[in-house]
Amino acid sequence: MASSESLWSTLSAPLIRQNPVTLQILGICSALAVTTSLDTALTMAASLTVVVVVAAGVISLIRRHIPSAIRLIIQIIIIASIVIVIDQVLKAWFFELSQRLSVFVSLIATNCIVLGRTESFARSNPPLRSMVDALGSGLGYGLVLVLVGACRELFGMGKLLGMQVLPLAESGGWFTPLGLMLLAPSAFFLLGGLIWALRSIWPEQAEAPEFPPYSRGPTDTGEAR
Amino acid sequence: MKRGIWDRETVALLLLAAILPLAVTWLLATGMSGAFRLLFVLVAAGAWHLVFMVARAQPPSFAGAITALAIAVLAPTDIGPFAMLLGISFGVIAGELAFGGWGRNVVNPATVAIAFLGFGFAAAPWPVLPVQLGWSVAAVAAIGTAVGVMSVRVIAGAIALLLLGWWQGLLTIPAFTAAAVVLVLLVCDPVTAAATGLGRWLYGLLYGALVLMFAAGWHGAAPVQAAISAALLVTLAAPLLDEIALRIWLARSKRVG
Repeated sequence: MASSESLWSTLSAPLIRQNPVTLQILGICSALAVTTSLDTALTMAASLTVVVVVAAGVISLIRRHIPSAIRLIIQIIIIASIVIVIDQVLKAWFFELSQRLSVFVSLIATNCIVLGRTESFARSNPPLRSMVDALGSGLGYGLVLVLVGACRELFGMGKLLGMQVLPLAESGGWFTPLGLMLLAPSAFFLLGGLIWALRSIWPEQAEAPEFPPYSRGPTDTGEAR
Repeated sequence: MKRGIWDRETVALLLLAAILPLAVTWLLATGMSGAFRLLFVLVAAGAWHLVFMVARAQPPSFAGAITALAIAVLAPTDIGPFAMLLGISFGVIAGELAFGGWGRNVVNPATVAIAFLGFGFAAAPWPVLPVQLGWSVAAVAAIGTAVGVMSVRVIAGAIALLLLGWWQGLLTIPAFTAAAVVLVLLVCDPVTAAATGLGRWLYGLLYGALVLMFAAGWHGAAPVQAAISAALLVTLAAPLLDEIALRIWLARSKRVG
């Protein structure tokens, strides 16, 4: 059962402990751009998860045949092909949603998480393991997206998935929407606060301070340096 | 007295003393409603200072009172208490306490809080400052520069451009008042202002220039809104201005030998 346990840890590690967004600060461009509402965040998370899982599987299958010198080109071609398929699927069945996601689904091709997982993991691991690892990363990314997206939609419009949750003040309720939540800076604030909270709970995630604060030693006379 | 009297709290208390004329003028003009508003902001900001003292052993600072006064005077009115609390918390935490308290912050917490409330609740009306507040700025600037907690260069640079704009008819009286109040309450904060001689001149001039630019080109902006936006932008530019001043100084000292 050792292998199934480690498969489980491969899947669960990127959810919080090794989260690609909050720990490695990867893929935040799209994480900030598509989170004004929950449905776009969910679609984006699902698209990225599918792309990274399929790409990891395909690249892992042909990993012994990829010449190392042109491996990035091959990976990008595979990833881009899958992204195009996803983009076309969204346009065919969820046209309105794909319009709101605009260019960001196509930009999954350049997402650091996708290329990072295929380059660092799928290239040297068997297909099942690679796909589980990719699924974990996709879910970890999706978790952050859904959290930020839910916050922004709830406090920016008082809605969740398009349904009015908090009664608006202008229609007789008590909630005044916070317009700032729909602007890009709020995503930075929320993401920063989330990272701060995570690193307070799990201090091992925090980086060593670049400039350690000046502390007064016992021999210090307190003079300015 | 081993460490001398010029520690952080001395500066904070002197700043507080310097802005007292403005605080008294504002309280006289607004009466009880102003006093309640100030008390509310003081309690909210003070609570966060206490939380950070307990959680991270950061000593609270009297500068929190200056922040509270600035927010009470300049923040948009007609905002519910919960939203107000949110804005104050955001400004005080993300603008100051998260960086390690007053003295380590990059931007002025009051500027952040007011900008947050202004952009977040775009429909809320901005306060109209009573005109006597503009006159109290003269007293504040005089005390602040005399005791050395406000920079003469910043004030001189900014006021020179503001007066020029007023003389040219670009600035109305409310706009001038708002710009002057924001100048002493937020822009002159010694922590977030530029710190080099030339940098301070540039900093003050840039603030004045931004206010004039907004007055000329930003239609529909309230006077306080334009001044706050200028203060926010100029705070972000302060490190750059210091860097320019240092580069010039280094280049010159190298040439001299």
